[in-house]
Amino acid sequence: MAGKSIAANKVRSFLTMLGIIIGVAAVIILVSLVQGQNKQWKEYYESLGTNRVNVSAYMWNGKDITEDLYEYCLRLDDLVLGVTPNGYYYGNIRYQSKSTDGNREYGTPSIALGSDLYSVCNNYELAMGRDISYLDVQNYNQVVVLGAKLKEYLFDYKNPIGEQISIGGHKFTVIGVYAAKGGTINPYIDYTAVVPYTMNRLLNKNNTFGDFTIKAKSSEATTEVITRVTGFLTGLIDPNYGYFYVYSDNSWMEREDEANRMMSLVLGGIAGISLLVGGIGIMNIMLVTVRERTREIGIRKAIGGSRRSILIQFLIEASVICGTGGILGILLGVLGTLVAGKLIFQLVLYPDVALSLGAVAFSVVLGIAFGMYPAVKASALQPVEALRAE
Amino acid sequence: MKLIELIDAYKIYNEGFENEVRALNGVSLTIEKGEFVSIVGQSGSGKSTLMNILGCLDVPTYGEYFLNGQDVSVMTDAELSKIRSRDVGFIFQGFNLISTLTAYENVELALIYQGVRASQRHDRVMEALERVGLADRAKNRPSQLSGGQQQRVAIARALVTNPSVIMADEPTGALDSKTGQQILDLLKSLNDEGATVILITHNMDLACASHRIIRLSDGKIVEDYRLRGVTA
Repeated sequence: MAGKSIAANKVRSFLTMLGIIIGVAAVIILVSLVQGQNKQWKEYYESLGTNRVNVSAYMWNGKDITEDLYEYCLRLDDLVLGVTPNGYYYGNIRYQSKSTDGNREYGTPSIALGSDLYSVCNNYELAMGRDISYLDVQNYNQVVVLGAKLKEYLFDYKNPIGEQISIGGHKFTVIGVYAAKGGTINPYIDYTAVVPYTMNRLLNKNNTFGDFTIKAKSSEATTEVITRVTGFLTGLIDPNYGYFYVYSDNSWMEREDEANRMMSLVLGGIAGISLLVGGIGIMNIMLVTVRERTREIGIRKAIGGSRRSILIQFLIEASVICGTGGILGILLGVLGTLVAGKLIFQLVLYPDVALSLGAVAFSVVLGIAFGMYPAVKASALQPVEALRAE
Repeated sequence: MKLIELIDAYKIYNEGFENEVRALNGVSLTIEKGEFVSIVGQSGSGKSTLMNILGCLDVPTYGEYFLNGQDVSVMTDAELSKIRSRDVGFIFQGFNLISTLTAYENVELALIYQGVRASQRHDRVMEALERVGLADRAKNRPSQLSGGQQQRVAIARALVTNPSVIMADEPTGALDSKTGQQILDLLKSLNDEGATVILITHNMDLACASHRIIRLSDGKIVEDYRLRGVTA
């Protein structure tokens, strides 16, 4: 019976559902995306490893502190595992006919300019060949270690060791390949290459670095390293010619967590409001429906329908509309999350099950509550009054 | 056997206020089983109010009403629903079919509310539709039927539950005279088969088809006479 009246008003039933569908889908998509971003950040930081200290130095007299910082950190060998400048070169990499400019999926990679301890600082492990050595840095050797994804793209299954590739038009010899570590979460971590930082002059026509990473031995050592390095740089950098920051990844991660939580709340709130609006839409439609159908309620009562049976009918109608809307909302939400996840983060995101069910439960409860109120009112009418309605 | 016994019934709106209306002002009435009674009167005479009370759609403000020996005037809403589904069949001027349901479903609804099991409903619905000559239109919606056909569906709905009394409120009011006559003939033949029929109308020609005429004016019975020597 309830199905009949829903089917008889297809457009109206669908419009009512639409409010719920959009509300549920919006909640699912928005919250899932924030969670996805959160997850991506987390995995990124985890892939870099913990206990990292970052140094940013800005010098306006052109002085480079790379060598000094490197030497100093190596002397702190009871606290520090490694130190590297963080420089990048963006440009085409070519091997025979393969070129990264032609890679539709990942495009042109950023090539890291690092020290011989770059892999230690960034949690890379060698899969084959050898790593960059201190002498490679000192002797300006044009050598490169490839990330797993980049190796796969350029060489496929071929052994790349000893092969020549061209980076920005300069010849480099492949000496090693790092093991994959990003997985599906962040393939860019493996779509990279590392060259000695002294190649900065060749690739970027630049001699200085402003950004460094120091890998400490433990979280206690991290604090100690920050103190020591700050002391060292205070002595090294004349405040008239530059300034610097020393900070740990750990604090950055905490701030990122906090920001993500805020974003979850804000977006979840917005989506929740749209769900509420959907619920009010249901109440509105139900109110109109009941008004329109007061006469029908009168007829039903006249031929013996009890108040209870009429209430149950409206309850079923409201539940079916909201339930169907909720299920369609989940489908749309999951689909939207998958598509948006792929487009924005290049990863396969699945919405939280509890969240999805919660959104549906909320919409059904809302729809029933809002749908029942006018029905309760109408069913309480004397059949005579209801019949008189036009 | 007394089917309906109304004792000194009043229906008063806005009692005690300036705009007090006495729709029924002390009506006593007895109707036997198997009678065909017309209630006539000008509009505003209280005949619709009387029908609503006799049909258990409304309860009197004062007075007692016994239907089949049960005191209806003290019943709750739920009990009234039950009485309506079991003992009363309504036929209205405006047909009052549910537009989203087919003829079959409209008739079936009365059985659903009566609590008849699904397996038994089909035969009874088809029997009722056949009785009014509409078995072949069972799947049509009201909008696909003529006025006379709609009213016959309404009659089928009224008689499918085998009610103690069929209440017809201006059943021909919305129909042309020829179709109206068909409806009246149908009511007469139902009465011949033993059904108690109460016809509410302002049309004396229609009323003359019945066995007994009760005339209301200003909420009071002013005339009550039998047309033929019918013994109940």
